[in-house]
Amino acid sequence: MRVWQAIVAFFAMALLTLPAAADSTQGITATTITIGSIGPFSGSASGFTPLNYGAAAYLRYINDQGGVNGRKFDVIFADSACNEAKGIAAAKKLIFEDKVFMIMSNPCSGVAMAIKPMLVQEGVPWMGASANPRITTPASPGMFHTVYPGSEAGRAMATFAMSKPGTTKIALAMHSDDWAHGYCDAASEYIKAHGGEIVATTVLEHGATDGTAQALQIKASGAQAVMGCLYQPELVVLLRDLEKYQINTVVVAALGADFDQVMAAFPSHDWVKQHFFQPYQFQAPIATGPLKKFHDIFVKYLTKDELPKNGDPTNFYYYGVPVAIVAVEAFRLAGPNPTRESWEKAVESLKGFDTGVLADTETFSADNHVGVHKMYAVGLDAQGKETVYKSWGVALPNSE
Amino acid sequence: MAGASQGTGLRRLFWVIPLAMLPLPLWLNPYQQYVLNTALVYVPVGIGFNLVVGNLGLLAFSNVAYFGLGAYTSGILTASLGLPWWLTIIPAAIVGGIAGFVASIPALRGVRLFYLAIMTLAFGELMRWTYIRWETLTGGSMGMAVPTATLFGLRLDSDRSRFYAFLILTVLIVAGTDRLLRSRFGRAFLAIKDNELAAAAMGIPTDRYIVLAFAWGGAVVGIGGSMFAISVGHLSPVSFDLTELVLQFAIIMVGGLGSLAGSIIGAVVITIAPQVFISFPGFEELVFGLLIILIILFLPRGLASLLARLHPAFVERYYRG
Amino acid sequence: MMLSLLPQLIVSGISSGMLYALIALSMTVVYRATTVVNFGQGDMVSAGAYAVFVFGMGFGLPFLVAMALALALLFVAGFAMQRWLMQPIIAGPHLSLAMMALAVGYTLRGALRLEWGNETINLTRPYPQDVYMLGNVVITTDDVAICGFVLLLFAALFVLLQVTPLGKVIQATFQSQRGAALVGINVPAFHATMWGGGAALGAIGGVLLAMITPLTPDLGQWTLVQGFAAMTLGGFGSLGGAVAGGILLGLTEKLLGFYVNTMFIEITGYLVPILVLMLRPQGLFGRRAVVRV
Repeated sequence: MRVWQAIVAFFAMALLTLPAAADSTQGITATTITIGSIGPFSGSASGFTPLNYGAAAYLRYINDQGGVNGRKFDVIFADSACNEAKGIAAAKKLIFEDKVFMIMSNPCSGVAMAIKPMLVQEGVPWMGASANPRITTPASPGMFHTVYPGSEAGRAMATFAMSKPGTTKIALAMHSDDWAHGYCDAASEYIKAHGGEIVATTVLEHGATDGTAQALQIKASGAQAVMGCLYQPELVVLLRDLEKYQINTVVVAALGADFDQVMAAFPSHDWVKQHFFQPYQFQAPIATGPLKKFHDIFVKYLTKDELPKNGDPTNFYYYGVPVAIVAVEAFRLAGPNPTRESWEKAVESLKGFDTGVLADTETFSADNHVGVHKMYAVGLDAQGKETVYKSWGVALPNSE
Repeated sequence: MAGASQGTGLRRLFWVIPLAMLPLPLWLNPYQQYVLNTALVYVPVGIGFNLVVGNLGLLAFSNVAYFGLGAYTSGILTASLGLPWWLTIIPAAIVGGIAGFVASIPALRGVRLFYLAIMTLAFGELMRWTYIRWETLTGGSMGMAVPTATLFGLRLDSDRSRFYAFLILTVLIVAGTDRLLRSRFGRAFLAIKDNELAAAAMGIPTDRYIVLAFAWGGAVVGIGGSMFAISVGHLSPVSFDLTELVLQFAIIMVGGLGSLAGSIIGAVVITIAPQVFISFPGFEELVFGLLIILIILFLPRGLASLLARLHPAFVERYYRG
Repeated sequence: MMLSLLPQLIVSGISSGMLYALIALSMTVVYRATTVVNFGQGDMVSAGAYAVFVFGMGFGLPFLVAMALALALLFVAGFAMQRWLMQPIIAGPHLSLAMMALAVGYTLRGALRLEWGNETINLTRPYPQDVYMLGNVVITTDDVAICGFVLLLFAALFVLLQVTPLGKVIQATFQSQRGAALVGINVPAFHATMWGGGAALGAIGGVLLAMITPLTPDLGQWTLVQGFAAMTLGGFGSLGGAVAGGILLGLTEKLLGFYVNTMFIEITGYLVPILVLMLRPQGLFGRRAVVRV
């Protein structure tokens, strides 16, 4: 009987005692701030890991400058494989074992949505690069978007397309995953609200190697523009087929592709220079002007494995940096004894903060946790030079 | 014959394991608890898979279909109809069982080997395509959130509380499948696996037993899916793709084909081992592949065969050690 | 407009179909020799493309040389895989054979991802890009190159099999391994060689794919499914059937995708085997399998 009583007692005790919630200075010691960086390091989304590396590079650079208020940053990576179950394990490990202060980067919206309830419950802040706007709208405590969620980019895509005079018939070319929906849903909302019409919706799956049926459907629909909510390889496949059939439609792609790499797939620029554009997140063409210093930071602070084997750091590296810049600035503002609450308040106090990277400045408030909204577009001009546009045909004055 | 009674006596010892696990949560942080819960989720998944592939010997690659259907059944019933989770366990099992039956149809028509493998694999992928397309029901590729589970009114809102619920379910499934395998059904499975024609010639109604194995396997995996739904709390089609199938293969191969203990060992090993790589980005696929290659070459009967070599009590009567 | 695009869809379908045919052929060669389907074939395809990339753009060798080296490398890989990983377990359960092939593929993909996972690579074409018009139908040099190369390959294989003494040996061993062993053919070496051949053929498929798609470690992820579907459609185990099945699959995908809905393209490779196996299991050109008791 005693044995059974003991067992029942254990059972009851275990069920009733709750683990202690992570406290408000978790991850902050006198000398270090621990940051958890979740990313798809394995699996087919591994092309997005430069978003994690970009942030890490910046933090290493800050450490070299002496850190913030005497503390240096320690970044711990964790693999989500872009899979919810793995992502939750990664987040739990970072929060409960590595005791990180916050979760950073985290491309892969599915993972972000899956870990959000736990993050909110534990009070662990999140500053990430996932496309799904529902992560930060309506505003959740501790959850911040310092880069453009898919909804902003989607709107920018639609705005740019419709800024070409007479464009009202638009087609969607998308993956059937949540990432693509994040962009294309917002784009189509904007389109319909501004007198446009979605004339076709074609689907291209991850790993597709041919876009003929899709391209011809676009042609048959008479679309004047296409919202290309696709990852890079599939985008190139679609563009190739649109070019092959000389379909006169403007393609505005999402942020899942690197502009220069896409250009590299089309050595003769003739068709693409009139037809391919992307929303542009940055203040200047990458590695030039204000962005040059980041190129040097990547090259100096990232290991050989973290940099691309061929060529310069791409678009994604730069896009990964703002998250770290804002986080560091918030630590600066929070003073010598930061806590979660003071850090979050510091973020919310930012108004018009220029990251030196993004096209827009960061502005937050208690109900607005999406820092940036305005974007440009990038394309090739008539001479084939990479140009940043404010709207159709209107280039930025100092475009190099 | 002395071995038989010794076997039964020692078999009772195995109940010590779940009892010994009861106080475990006191020492585990939520991350470790979540990993352990995941291992428990995959025990029925492995058992169901192993039943058809290992014990019956048919190449049915449709396991992820049952897993996903069970998960979505629980998810949809709790989210849309507001049913408490524990009431959705049986429906998940039923849906899984029906899916198992559907998968058995080609097998009943005589389709075997790689043909059966392709068809059942296609079945699993078609289900995944359905989760994506039937947006109104499943939330499509955006996925759906699964509300917190309740068990007879008790809210299972921590990994710790879910652990106990999973433990109970897993023990019941292990015990039930053990019963099944040691009965005439289990013997029939073995006979069919060895030589189907001979078994039929002896009068065993092979069709009936094939359906039974598929349906039981499907039901059990469906329950695993139901557990998965509340452990992860968010369902999306990505969780039920071919990568998941490979994971489930690894469970039964590493654990031991045809072995109940193997399914359990495999589930534990395959869930816990990759955690080592969580912070060493990029190595997981490589090491995983190598592990499977090594196991197939050097330990083809899986880790359970190691256990069997330790002591005769560990030899399962329905598993040729 | 809808019907007027039909010729274009057909041409395009045949072009994609040629690639599927090549993959299906590579898998059939392996299957005929050892009755095992190489579940890791998709990753051999990707590896072949990366090999050409490394030899060509990496070492700066001319394209044909790089291709030849890549084929040799993949041949050796396939040979070694069969000889040291598949042969030892040949007597075991079929699942082990399937899993071993899968695991090798998985490992290969993991290695590719470690090295090149952060980026997308564009393989430069060795031929100029141009477009020809046949009436209303657009044909690019890609189409010509792919179809031409694959047809040439098929012709060469046909000659090899039907005309040369080596081809007779291969056909004989396909038909009866015991008989072949009895007349002194080294059957184990034959198995390994056929796997090498299958890997090399897959590598060619990979290179051709990389001409029209950016190169990532997941390049070959769908080729396995498409290969299966083509093999099943044409008749599992039939070399001619693999080719016919591949072309038919390409056509079906395009027509279904355009006229019905693009969302079906992804599952065409799954629907086809199910339908074929339920309605006409031997496919178009296969023989009804007779199971010897």
